[in-house]
Amino acid sequence: MKLLPLRPDIQAESAPRRGLATAMIEIDRVSQIFQTSGRQQHLALSEISLTVEDGAFVSILGPSGCGKSTLLYIVGGFVSPTQGVATMKGKPITGPGPDRGPVFQEFALFPWKSVLGNVMYGPRQQGVKPAEAEAQSRALIEMVGLKGFEDFYPKELSGGMKQRVALARTLAYHPAVLLMDEPFGALDAHTRTRLQNDLLNIWERDRKTVLFVTHSVEEAVFLSDKVVVMTRSPGRIKEVVDIDLPRPRRRAELLLDSRYQKYVVDIEGMIDDTSEDELRP
Amino acid sequence: MTVARTVLSRLAPLLACLGLLAIWQIGALILNTESFPTALKALRAIPSILGDKEALINIAASLRRMAVGFALALAVSIPLGLMMGRSRAVASFFNPLLMIIYPVPKAALMPIIMLWLGVGDIAKTLVIFLGVSLPVIYHSFQGARAVEEKMLWSGAAMGLSARQRMIRIVLPAALPEILTGCRTGLVLALITMITSEMIARQSGAGNILFNALDMGQYDTVFAMIIIVGAMGIGLDAAFENLRGRLVRWSEPRFDLPLSFS
Repeated sequence: MKLLPLRPDIQAESAPRRGLATAMIEIDRVSQIFQTSGRQQHLALSEISLTVEDGAFVSILGPSGCGKSTLLYIVGGFVSPTQGVATMKGKPITGPGPDRGPVFQEFALFPWKSVLGNVMYGPRQQGVKPAEAEAQSRALIEMVGLKGFEDFYPKELSGGMKQRVALARTLAYHPAVLLMDEPFGALDAHTRTRLQNDLLNIWERDRKTVLFVTHSVEEAVFLSDKVVVMTRSPGRIKEVVDIDLPRPRRRAELLLDSRYQKYVVDIEGMIDDTSEDELRP
Repeated sequence: MTVARTVLSRLAPLLACLGLLAIWQIGALILNTESFPTALKALRAIPSILGDKEALINIAASLRRMAVGFALALAVSIPLGLMMGRSRAVASFFNPLLMIIYPVPKAALMPIIMLWLGVGDIAKTLVIFLGVSLPVIYHSFQGARAVEEKMLWSGAAMGLSARQRMIRIVLPAALPEILTGCRTGLVLALITMITSEMIARQSGAGNILFNALDMGQYDTVFAMIIIVGAMGIGLDAAFENLRGRLVRWSEPRFDLPLSFS
């Protein structure tokens, strides 16, 4: 594995709790230009560089339209960057692959498959024997709290349940990195809180690398080791904040923790600044 | 009370048919012309048609042509429509061609086709094929176009190739829409089947109908209309049954989704 070139924006932020943090994903001066309908060019991402360490939970936070989802899609291999390169374990990302598992805000479940069928889809595609895939999938469905709903179709489930299925479906093919694109954005506040707690519990078991896109400051601070704050038009990294809060995190304790509150207030301030920037001529 | 209501709703279609026949019967009795036989007379002619070996062979030949034309149309139109829905290049190539063919009544092409291919099975099957193709292409196209990008991305992340995504994601995701097109196509197959036999009078159910018309056997004409109509209802009901089973997943089991986070 190649050594990381030290980047000034990341250097100061190296994860303190890990002795030997290796880079899982490296984004190197990535820019994305979109052609708008009026034949104009829109610079969605400008020279983004970021390193995500193995086992880190990193959130990308920013106002809507700052290109944070695009950045995630580039890591997923769904979108190719106009400039720059993203690498995974040192290899350039050229397309989607089972080492990077996406979870989308829109769930994107296969509606013609039952809950079990959806979760089994990845392992079956990977050549896991039916009986084994089914056993693993049933265990995962139980882990995400949907035991008893194996034979239901997505249409019969609520939003929160659908996102639980989507998470199980992605975990089922053991991606090294989870790419979560505002996964709880379409859910009501109560459901959202429950899913955040459950996601943390699941994550704390195997500490997969997670890249998590959100526009909620509280969500980012609560979940992450590192919060990447982005600005809009063009999308740039404004600041990378290490969240030095103990794990396992409990919501009730954290909400009263002054360090948590300070992170939230500080980061909100950064986002407020960006919107003021926009108003300047 | 509720039992009575369900029985009534089951009987409703039957009552509607009986009502229609009653109106027909009364209307025919009032008008009292030879070219409009009473419902009873027409119904009485049905057993003699269905008992006639010659007529049965004709009807069977019609249905065979219809089945072949319909099946061929699905085999070509579904893949074409799906590819058009997922590829802008394929769509912009075929769209103008289809837009030219769409408004042309397929039966109007029959004389030319007869000139090239004769009056036999091939010409008639081709007309049925053309009639069925367009709605099936259109609905397959719409269905494929509406497939969520992120569903395809999820499949790609699992390692499905472009071809596998087409067959294992786009096809099932578009299936409800495809089957809607097939249902329209099935009815059109029946219509083009009869019209093709009306133009190329050689065999078939349409041939019996129009021969009877020429000979002034009006009760046979109306009996054939009833038989063709019944075939339409039967085929449509069978297709709906199949469709319901294939896309049960797209209709909720409960009126409301479960509320559970």
